Amino acid sequence: MSWKAIHRWLGLTVGTLAVVLGVTGAILAVDPVQQAWQAPAAPGDLPVATLVERVTRTVPGAEEIRHLPSGAIVVFSFAGDQPQASYVDPADGRVLGAWQPSVLPRWVKNLHRSLLLGDTGRWRAAGIALTMLLLCVSAVVLLLRRMGGWRRLAARVRGSLAQRIHVVVGRVVLGVLCLTSLTALTMSASTLELVALDTRTEPAVLSVAAGKPALPGAQLAALQGIAVQDLRKLNLPSASDPEDVWAVATAQGQAWIDRYSGQMLAWQDATLAQRVYDLAVVLHTGESAWPWAVVLGLAGASVLLFWLSGIVMWWQARRETPRIVGNIPLAQADVLIFVASEGGSTWGFAQALQDALSQCGHRVHTSALENFHTTAATRQVFVLAATYGEGQAPTHASHALEHIAKLGTNTSAVPVTVLGFGDRQFPTFCAFAEALDQALRAQGWPALLPLERIHQQSGQQFARWGVALAQALGEPLVLDYVPRLPPTTALTLIARQDYPGVTGQAAAILRFTWPAQGLGERLRGLGLARFAAGDLVGVVPPGSAVPRYYSLASGWEDGFLEICVRQMPDGLCSTHLLGLKAGDSIVAFIRSNPGFALPRTRRPVLLIAAGTGVSPLAGFIRRNDKRRPMHLYFGGRDPARDFYFGPEIQRWLGEGRLATLQTVFSRVPDGGGYVQDALRRDAERVRGLMAQGAIVRVCGSRAMARGVAEALDAVLAPLQLSVAQLKAKERYAEDVF
Amino acid sequence: MSKPLLTILATTCALALPALAHSRPITLTAQLKNYGGDGAYLAAYLTDAKGAYVRTLWVSGGKAKYHKHLSDWNRLSAGDAKRLDGVTGASVGEGRTLKVTADLADALIDAGYEIRIDAAAEDMRDSPSEVRLPLSTANAGKPQAGKQYIQSATFQLQ
Repeated sequence: MSWKAIHRWLGLTVGTLAVVLGVTGAILAVDPVQQAWQAPAAPGDLPVATLVERVTRTVPGAEEIRHLPSGAIVVFSFAGDQPQASYVDPADGRVLGAWQPSVLPRWVKNLHRSLLLGDTGRWRAAGIALTMLLLCVSAVVLLLRRMGGWRRLAARVRGSLAQRIHVVVGRVVLGVLCLTSLTALTMSASTLELVALDTRTEPAVLSVAAGKPALPGAQLAALQGIAVQDLRKLNLPSASDPEDVWAVATAQGQAWIDRYSGQMLAWQDATLAQRVYDLAVVLHTGESAWPWAVVLGLAGASVLLFWLSGIVMWWQARRETPRIVGNIPLAQADVLIFVASEGGSTWGFAQALQDALSQCGHRVHTSALENFHTTAATRQVFVLAATYGEGQAPTHASHALEHIAKLGTNTSAVPVTVLGFGDRQFPTFCAFAEALDQALRAQGWPALLPLERIHQQSGQQFARWGVALAQALGEPLVLDYVPRLPPTTALTLIARQDYPGVTGQAAAILRFTWPAQGLGERLRGLGLARFAAGDLVGVVPPGSAVPRYYSLASGWEDGFLEICVRQMPDGLCSTHLLGLKAGDSIVAFIRSNPGFALPRTRRPVLLIAAGTGVSPLAGFIRRNDKRRPMHLYFGGRDPARDFYFGPEIQRWLGEGRLATLQTVFSRVPDGGGYVQDALRRDAERVRGLMAQGAIVRVCGSRAMARGVAEALDAVLAPLQLSVAQLKAKERYAEDVF
Repeated sequence: MSKPLLTILATTCALALPALAHSRPITLTAQLKNYGGDGAYLAAYLTDAKGAYVRTLWVSGGKAKYHKHLSDWNRLSAGDAKRLDGVTGASVGEGRTLKVTADLADALIDAGYEIRIDAAAEDMRDSPSEVRLPLSTANAGKPQAGKQYIQSATFQLQ
C-alpha cells in the first residue's frame, strides 16, 4: 500500500473519530488558560517552609497544599464538616477564592480520553492516537513529496482550496499533532497498565513523639530546602493522629518528615517512567504554560479542518480519476492497456483504443502504467505514454521504468507496443515513451508495431496508427478519438490593447473577466481554478478540440485574466482571439505551471523576455507588492510597435515594483540587438546578481531561450556556474513557446 | 492417595472448620454523595484496637496506579501481598451505593476493631479514613457520614 493510500483511508475512516478527540482536546485547552488567569503563580524560588508558614496562618485546618502546574497554590482544608479547596496568594497566604479542578463538564474529558466507554474506550482512544501518529508520518512523506523536499517546504502551495488548506495548515501543525499523538500514547501506556510508573511500596513511617512538641512547618529544614518550583504537593500531618508525618512530593521524588524531630524519615526518587509520564502530561495538556495550551487547542481544532478538507480532496480525486468504461478485470483480459498521463488527456486515447478493441471481441483491461503486469490470459499489451516536462515520466508513473526493470528478462511472446504522446516543439518529444520502448526491447519484449509518436494529441495521427494496428491484428478496427477536456469556463473579453507588430503580425493584450466562485465551488475545485501569473490558460478555439496554451499576465488577485496574443500564420486560435470584441467570450480552463512560479524569498529576480514572452513576467512585476528587487531584460523589434506592456512597465518602474529595466530592439538603428546581447554587455552586473543568489525566469521563443542560455553560460563561466546547474537548483526556469 | 496430599487435606479441614463454626457474615453498605467527580476509588479494611491493619475487605477501582491515593490503606496494607485477592471491583460512581459482604470471625466483634474506608476520586482530594466504623454489636446498623465522599456507611451483622 502506498503512503497516499494509507493516509487517505486511515484519514477517512479512523480520522472521523480523531475529529472527536481533536475537538474535545481543543475544548479542554480552555482549562489551562482559564486557570492561568485565575490566580497568581508562586515565585519559583520561594522556600516551601515559608509558603507553609503563610498558609497555616490564614487557613488553620490546612491538610494539603498543591502547587498546580499553572504555578498557582491551592490549599485543601475543612471548614467544620465541609471540605474546602481554595486558591491562596503565595505572597501572603490570603485566600483568593474557591478552586475547581475544571470549569468544563466532566464528560468532555471522558469523551476525549475514553469516548465515554470506560476502559474499552481508552483502548480505542489509544488506537486513534496511534492512527493519528501514522497519519502524521504519512503526511510528512506526502508533504515532502508534494513540495519537492525539505528545502522547498515553505514554497507556495498550489491546487484547489481544499488542497491548499490541507497542505498549508498541515505544514504548520504537523509537528504539534505528532507530539500530541506520541504523548497520548505515553499516557495511555500508563493508564492501560502496559507500563508501571512506580511499583515500589510506600515506606511505613511514623512520627515518634519523644516528649517534644510538634515543629511548625516553617522550622522544618527539609521544607526550607525545597523551592516552590519543585513542589507538587505537601500533606500536613493530621491534628488528630500524633504519629502522622509530613509528606512532600516534588518533581524529583517524595519525602516523609517526622513532625517532632523534623528528620527526613524516608526519600524515594521519582522513577524514570514517572518523569517521562509527567513530561508527557505537561506536553499533552499544556497545563503548565497557557500559550502552549492555546497552540494545542488550535492543533486539536485543526483535525476537523483536515478531515473536512481531506474528504473534499478525496471526492475531487474520485471525480477526476480517469474512469474507463467497460473495463474487464486484469485476470480475465486478453488485451492490456497501460497509461502514463500528466494532464489526463492520454486516458481519452486509451478509452478509444479500449472501445475499438472491445468491439472486435477482445476483453480489455486498462490501468495506470505503474501497475504494469501481465497474466496467463494476456495476448497483447499497449502502453500509451505521455512525456512530462524535460523528458520525464508523468508523476504517477515516475517509478514505472524501475518497476519494469525489476520484472527481469521477459520470456513470454506477448507483444508490448508503445505509443508516445508529446509535442514536437519540445526537444524531448516523446522522450519518456522512447525510454520505455528501449527498456521493454532490452528486456526481450517483442512489439506488434514500432514506437509511434503522436504530436499534440492529434486525433488524425492516432486514427492512422489505428489503421496500422488493424492490419497487424488482421481485424476491422477503427479508432475514433473524442478528446476530453478539463471542465471549461466561459470568459468574457473586457478590454484589449492592440499592437501593430512589425512584419504584419499584429498582437494584442486581451483582458477577460475572472468569474469569482462561491466557497463551495472553490472547495471542490469547480469552475475556473485560481491562478497566478505564469500559469497557463488553455483556450479551446471554435472548430477544434485541442486547446492552445497562453501564459497568464495576471493572477486571480488582480481580478482579471490577461494574456498577450500574437497572430500566428494560419493560427486557428490566435485568429479567433484577435478577432474578439469586448463582450465576446472564449472557452477556457487553467493549467498550473508550478515550475515557473516564483518562490517566496527576498532574493533578487532576473526576468528575461522577448516579444509576447513578457506577459508572465509582467504579471510577476504587477504583483510585486513587497518590492523585491526585480530586474527586467526585454527584447523587442521596434519600441513603437511591439513593446508590450510598455506604459505599465514604466509605471511599475516608478512605483518600485520593478528595480531596473533594460530594453533592446532589433529592428531599429542602435536598438541594441537581441536580449542575449544585452546580457553579454551587462555581464558584470549579471554576475553580481547571480552571486547574490538571484532567481532567473526566461520567457520567449525556443530560439530566444536557447540564445539566452548560451549567453548566460558564457557570462557565468567565471563564477563556475551554468544554466544547467541553476536549473537543477530550481533557480532557473523557462516558459517557451 | 499419596501421603503429602492427605496431609494437606487434613490441615485445610482443621483450619477451615473452626472458622466456619465461629464466623459470621457482615454486610457493609456505603452510599456515596453527589460529589461532582468521576467514579470513586474506595478501600474498606479492618484495623485492630491499636490501629494496626488486619485485612482488606474490599477495594473498588482496579487501576493499581491510583491505589496510592487510598493513602492510609495503601500504606498500612503495604506488607499484605494478598490484599487484592478476590476483593476488587469497579470504581463507584457518585450517588451510587457500594454493598459488600465479608466473613468475620466472632472474636473480632466488640474487641476494639474498626472498619475503615479510604476514598479518592480523580483530580479531587484524597480522603484517607473517610469513615471509621467501630466493629461493635451496638454500632451495627447505625449509619455514619464520611468526610467528603460518603453520604452514609453502615454494616449489618447476620
